[in-house]
Amino acid sequence: MQMEKTMLNILPVPTFSWLGVNGSEHTVKQYETAYISADDGIARLDVQEGSSYKLSVAENQRSTVILYNNSDSSTSFEVNVSAADGSDVKLVEVFDSKAETVTKVRAELGTRARFSLVQLYLGGSGTVSEIAVEQGARSEFTADIAYELRGKDRLDLNLLTEQSGRKSTSRIDVRGVLSGEAFKIFKGTIDFKSGASGAKGEEREDVLMLGGSAVNKTVPLILCAEEDVEGSHGASIGRVDEKQVFYMRSRGIPEDKILALLAQSRTDRVIRLIGDSVTEQRIKASLGRGEEDE
Amino acid sequence: MKEKTQIGDIDRSLYDFRYEENEGDFLDSGITPEIISEISDEKNDPDWMREFRQKSLSIYNRTPMVSWGPDISGLDVDRIVTYIRQKSRMNTDWESVPEDIRQTFEKLGIPQAERESLAGVGAQYDSELVYHNVRREVAESGVVYTDLESAMHDPKYAELIRSHFMKLVPPTDHKFAALHGAVWSGGSFVYVPKNVHLDIPLQSYFRLNAKGAGQFEHTLIILEEGSYLHFIEGCSAPKYYEAGLHAGCVELYVGKGATLRYSTIENWSKNMYNLNTKRALVQENGRIEWVSGSFGSHVSYLYPMSILNGHGASAEFTGITFAGEGQNLDTGAKMIHNAPETSSYMNTKSISKSGGISTFRSAVVVNENAAGSKSSVNCESLMLDGISRSDTVPAMDIKTDKCDVGHEARIGRISDEAIFYLTSRGLSEEDARAMIVRGFADNVSKELPLEYAMEMNNLIGLEMHGSIG
Repeated sequence: MQMEKTMLNILPVPTFSWLGVNGSEHTVKQYETAYISADDGIARLDVQEGSSYKLSVAENQRSTVILYNNSDSSTSFEVNVSAADGSDVKLVEVFDSKAETVTKVRAELGTRARFSLVQLYLGGSGTVSEIAVEQGARSEFTADIAYELRGKDRLDLNLLTEQSGRKSTSRIDVRGVLSGEAFKIFKGTIDFKSGASGAKGEEREDVLMLGGSAVNKTVPLILCAEEDVEGSHGASIGRVDEKQVFYMRSRGIPEDKILALLAQSRTDRVIRLIGDSVTEQRIKASLGRGEEDE
Repeated sequence: MKEKTQIGDIDRSLYDFRYEENEGDFLDSGITPEIISEISDEKNDPDWMREFRQKSLSIYNRTPMVSWGPDISGLDVDRIVTYIRQKSRMNTDWESVPEDIRQTFEKLGIPQAERESLAGVGAQYDSELVYHNVRREVAESGVVYTDLESAMHDPKYAELIRSHFMKLVPPTDHKFAALHGAVWSGGSFVYVPKNVHLDIPLQSYFRLNAKGAGQFEHTLIILEEGSYLHFIEGCSAPKYYEAGLHAGCVELYVGKGATLRYSTIENWSKNMYNLNTKRALVQENGRIEWVSGSFGSHVSYLYPMSILNGHGASAEFTGITFAGEGQNLDTGAKMIHNAPETSSYMNTKSISKSGGISTFRSAVVVNENAAGSKSSVNCESLMLDGISRSDTVPAMDIKTDKCDVGHEARIGRISDEAIFYLTSRGLSEEDARAMIVRGFADNVSKELPLEYAMEMNNLIGLEMHGSIG
């Protein structure tokens, strides 16, 4: 398998170099194409190293694909989604590997197509993840992403949605927890192209930092070349809300349990969005969360 | 029948006048060791400054151009005249200032503002200060407000200048900081002693009159413990077809418990590249307040940095940027939390019109040693047509869990409902739009002294004129 060095996770509009968020060089492999078929159903796959998954969903069809990566060794893979007019596509990706991962999602959405991306990052010594979406007219894109990073976990996540189509909408919701010496970059860009009149986009990241010497970098961009749009982004980064902790302690819950619950609530929200009990049970088993935690 | 107003040229006559220069006063364009030596000779630099300039030049030569931000390929620094000889000695009364220069500042309203509402004024014309004066009672309180060159040669302040000059913004910071270190000229030095409060502001005004020239003034302000100062900076230039360059540098040292308010209304002409660097170091319980209005220049890179270096230090940045035709204004701020319990607040508005590009760019850094710190960023952008562009590029780099950082940004346009409401009450569409934009900019204008708020409102009025096509 051929290897090549390339810049990944390039910020669409670079900023101050000293922040170290403009992109980074990685070695990636040349991929081998694998086709996914999930016509009007759910396809569950364990990620195969070096795969370039192609998912084409025909007009007005509905498809859900769940990719689970729990490889013990470093993994590179990509997913290319082509969502035809009026189709409804849901892509779930679970990153449950301690090894390095380089991955990419590319999606093209036709008119009135819907694309729902659900991603869960459960650690990893170096995960580089890129998401690039091109939205047609009246298309809808949602991204619900959660991460739980501990120890020396590293995540570099770069999401770009280009809204070229009229009245397209996007909603990006990212929530996560950092502890230990974890390191995370999230770059999220909503790019309203000229002609995207009536488009709307919103983006939010909520980062809970739980002790240690974790580092969080958040870079939420809105690029706008169209007058008639509405865009917003927000970020909230920091410690546990003391009022929440006080309330729960006053009800007899010890502080370490409170912190665990607050952390868990972020990933649980995304786990619930998967909508597949088989995968949900697999994740909970991996996280050591039994029924009593629910 | 409703008539459409055509998009018209912006009336910048208030700023767009000029007097002919004697080109014999210009040093050669370009940046060579010989030209730098010539500047040192002209200014009678002390040895350390001669050496500093030459070192900065070598840093400039080996430093690459910035790899991000607006395109500045239209700026050929080798064609910029970096120094224009002094036309007259610096004066402390306007009557002694040469007639054409005095007329320039009269038109800009500086002497009148001095009489009515300022504690002191410095006026720079091209490369050198031509006027500097401070009220007697202010001088008697121990406040020093003079040009940087005089202070550098004054035994009382020479060491203070040497120990602070380009220590906050070293020449290695970026290419144009190095250029500034090599060719700087003019600017102000302010020193406010311990516990002295100046209730009325000081103002420096920078006017670049010459064609194809650069202005590289250096502002150095030192506030001792418990003091207060409001410093106002204004700048403008007439329009030429040749590119002009402004690469000034502002270094602000805010002592323990001191507060500095630094207000700027920047209205460079639209042939100017405004590559300015501003930085403040704030000690324990000190406070820096930036108020910034960016209206002019062809291209701007401007992000004042606040380094909160003492326990409880705080910073606030309030800014507005208005990018019209032919302008690419990249503005914002940087907040560095480098001590416990520090706080920062950023509130900015951007407006884009007639093909203008406005970019809000920021960085909030909370270091490991900044436990208990808080930061909040709020930016709003308004698009006034479909041919302009507005981008927001904020970044947060957080290295401690014991902090609260928030960020909110919105982008949108003037709603048809708001226009309909105002026009139904008798306003023309143009006036309705101008009123909404003034309201949008209100958070900045209310932070300015009255006369500057009026100037800003007038600028918005000028920019909005003929905006409905």
